Amino acid sequence: MEQPEARALVAAALRHDDDAARELVRRLHPLVAKLVRAHRPRRTSEEDLAQMIFIKVFQKLWQFSGEVPLEHWVSRIAVNTCLNQIAAEKARPELRRSDLSEEEEAVVENLAVSSDELAPDKRLAARQLVEHLLDLLKPAERLVMDLLYLQRRSVAEVQKITGWSASRIKVRAFRARQKMKKQLAKISAKENP
Amino acid sequence: MNRRSQSSGAEGGGSLDRLLRAAASTNEDAPEMPYGFDTRVVALWQAHGEREPNGIARLIRHVAVFAAVILIASAAGVYREVIRSDVSSEPFANQFAIADSAIADEVSP
Repeated sequence: MEQPEARALVAAALRHDDDAARELVRRLHPLVAKLVRAHRPRRTSEEDLAQMIFIKVFQKLWQFSGEVPLEHWVSRIAVNTCLNQIAAEKARPELRRSDLSEEEEAVVENLAVSSDELAPDKRLAARQLVEHLLDLLKPAERLVMDLLYLQRRSVAEVQKITGWSASRIKVRAFRARQKMKKQLAKISAKENP
Repeated sequence: MNRRSQSSGAEGGGSLDRLLRAAASTNEDAPEMPYGFDTRVVALWQAHGEREPNGIARLIRHVAVFAAVILIASAAGVYREVIRSDVSSEPFANQFAIADSAIADEVSP
């Protein structure tokens, strides 16, 4: 969304123009929905979380100065709301092979025996396996991994979305990768039932 | 042993990267906005009311004014008390002076 357009919509929404407010929701929904999905809330439904974020955005709309793009401003509210909401959700301590579907097990086998890229027909199972691994991480680590590796955003983009420093993002990504590697190695091990 | 653990670590990283690449290639589009979501959000926003733009500022201002009033009242109280104690201590001061000079008179030859 262009900045002048965003500012005009915000100004109109603040004057209680319902059409402008609805238009803001429609324009920002893809961004908010992607961020909510990146956090993978378990107990709260994605729609409820998105709604909560939009209410906060509108309640704080008067604070939007227009100095930063509206998308970045909204992203930070969304990230903070998601982290606060999900902070209470405890991560599962570990993933066991018995938790995996047959297709996911096949992906694990494939990764262990071959160094080739996974075949296209295994990608969906790979995605599900990654979702399992992400579930074991802290919410902030989950978000960083999703944005960097699944949405393929740059560190600079993640910085703009989250407001975190580059080093903080890299440290979180490093820790998350270590945890994921460890879990993957564990479920790959043959002696693991 | 070391070499083995290093190589398994590298393999783990490679596997993870391949897994993440495969997962990223199935990247889902953003979910579609549920029907009526925008209307619901706007209605809820209006029902909850806008957060007072300067609610916190107003609260701080009220607290500051209240504190200032208490400060002025207590300062006035202290001032009055000091004045009163000055006034009331004056007769005592005179009495001390009289007693002092009387003692001096008696003691002096």
